[in-house]
Amino acid sequence: MISQKGIVLEKLLSGHFICETTDEDSYRFLKTSAGRMEVEAHLAVLNRQLTHAAEEQVFFASYQTIGETERVKLGKQFEDVSNHLLPLIEWLLLVQESLNNDLSLSQGMNLRLNELQTVIEDTPAYAEQLNKISRYALFGSKAAELDAQLKLVFKRLVELGYLIKPNQDKQIYTVTGKIDYLFDVLKFIDETEQLSLAKKAEDAMSQSDLI
Amino acid sequence: MNYNLKKAGSSLLNALSNHSELVMEAYFSGSINEADYTPKVINNLLDLKVIWRPENERQLRLRPALRTLLEESLQDENNRQIDANIGSSLVSIKTQAEHYKEALNAGRFKEAESMLSDVTERVYSLTDMLATNVRLLWSRISNEFGYVATVDAKIRENELAQSQVSELLNQLSMFQFDQLSDISGSHRELRHLLVVTLQSSFAHCTQELSLAQAKLIDLLGRFREFKGRTRLLKGFVLHLEQNPSFAPQNYSTLSNVPALFNVAENTIAAAAIDVNNVEQEQSLLEVMSNIKHVNRQRDTRTNLNNASPLTMQDENAIELQESLLKSEVDAFFCAVIDSGTNQTALDYYKTKNLDFDPEVWLYQVIGGFHGLPEQDKSYFALETRGVPDPVFSGNFVITDIEIGLQ
Repeated sequence: MISQKGIVLEKLLSGHFICETTDEDSYRFLKTSAGRMEVEAHLAVLNRQLTHAAEEQVFFASYQTIGETERVKLGKQFEDVSNHLLPLIEWLLLVQESLNNDLSLSQGMNLRLNELQTVIEDTPAYAEQLNKISRYALFGSKAAELDAQLKLVFKRLVELGYLIKPNQDKQIYTVTGKIDYLFDVLKFIDETEQLSLAKKAEDAMSQSDLI
Repeated sequence: MNYNLKKAGSSLLNALSNHSELVMEAYFSGSINEADYTPKVINNLLDLKVIWRPENERQLRLRPALRTLLEESLQDENNRQIDANIGSSLVSIKTQAEHYKEALNAGRFKEAESMLSDVTERVYSLTDMLATNVRLLWSRISNEFGYVATVDAKIRENELAQSQVSELLNQLSMFQFDQLSDISGSHRELRHLLVVTLQSSFAHCTQELSLAQAKLIDLLGRFREFKGRTRLLKGFVLHLEQNPSFAPQNYSTLSNVPALFNVAENTIAAAAIDVNNVEQEQSLLEVMSNIKHVNRQRDTRTNLNNASPLTMQDENAIELQESLLKSEVDAFFCAVIDSGTNQTALDYYKTKNLDFDPEVWLYQVIGGFHGLPEQDKSYFALETRGVPDPVFSGNFVITDIEIGLQ
């Protein structure tokens, strides 16, 4: 039988992000310093180390020393991340608007598929937005019907690790810590490239005129 | 980041150049004949929003925005200026409709046709414009309304929003369908354009406008605020809209890769099966038995399964009996050959003390005789012994068979 440490190691080495929502036991294990030390010892053998993001809400494995081969892999990953940014952000905004939340998605939030579908179906603007989002390469939907597009988008997000479906029979999805990681990435890009994105958004609000 | 937009833009422009003939035909004649082009091409252009289908049964037309672009770039004076105001649009539509009817009545068919295409173009531009306006209003209310700080600003904003909604409502009310119906009279085309098309577009717009109003009412009292993260998201989308060529620099090439971007790849793959491990034998066998077996032949075993074992035994028993009978019949014939004299079946039956049913024995002998090969049959002769039937005349009851050599 595999121990908790074993489970944690296997997940980390498979490229998974461990947070409280995806795997509570593993998360607790990593919160203890003893657990962290054990895991790091094993990871170090494979040139990896334990890294956290989003104020220690999510853990993942990263490379310890970065050589040529690692750079190539990281480069490819980075390309994926930057291509995925726009579709993911648009999707986040769409969900937020449809659910009429002033709060953006974060770990632990539950999304009900049929609720979302009802709102999007009733509002033509949202339906068009979903259509646009589902056509991005990240999701690659060829369907014309709203529910097929929506299901595909959610399925893909589960595959990528941003959402989980705790109960196979019910259409309720929970947001994982990887979304918080995504926000961290955004913040980082904002600061590094000095985009001052927050200020931009505010300016846009103050200048608006309805027609 | 711009990858998606860039790709979409390039494919749009490529499509425009590849299908330039289609686009120009749509520009000049107003609509295209779908039969001339493959469905693939048409679907491609529909997706790219180059052409659109105003209603379900109508033909495909060029999008008004594209049409405007062509008009301006080609500096084509023949094409009309499409008016942005709904009121004047409607008036000009009505005037053109009257021109059309007059031309038709006077028999000037060519002129009438050009008038009709003019009316068509105006009507569809109007519907498109209406839809765009309402959509714009809705998105402004949904996305940007309510994000103010002071009460005064809120009041001003509310007044502004309400006035704009009522203005749009007023414009929509200018649709006087009874008048339009009168104008179109009994002309089928006119009726379709002025009454059916405008009415359905009107219905869609009012629906979306009511959604916008509901949202407005909802937000009238609320002070909305972007919490930090949403600001980040919105700002990012805006930034990309303004600078489509934005892409973050590749942080993985830095000597000190930031922790966020240093995500190790998947190393683990599934383990393989150890067939030599005795401990796992039981579970592996279970797994194997659950593997679905693809049986490509028709399963005929079911028939045999239904037949009970008893039947098998009976067959054996019967066989034995038959073979016993058969061998006895053979022996009888041999005896006839050996003795060289005629023998009756029943005599032989008695001498050998056979325990078959006599009638069965007789039938077997007859059957055996007739079953002999022709050559062998010629050596024997079969005679019947019997009496005429006491009750039914004409019937001969056979009591015995005599086999003799020829």
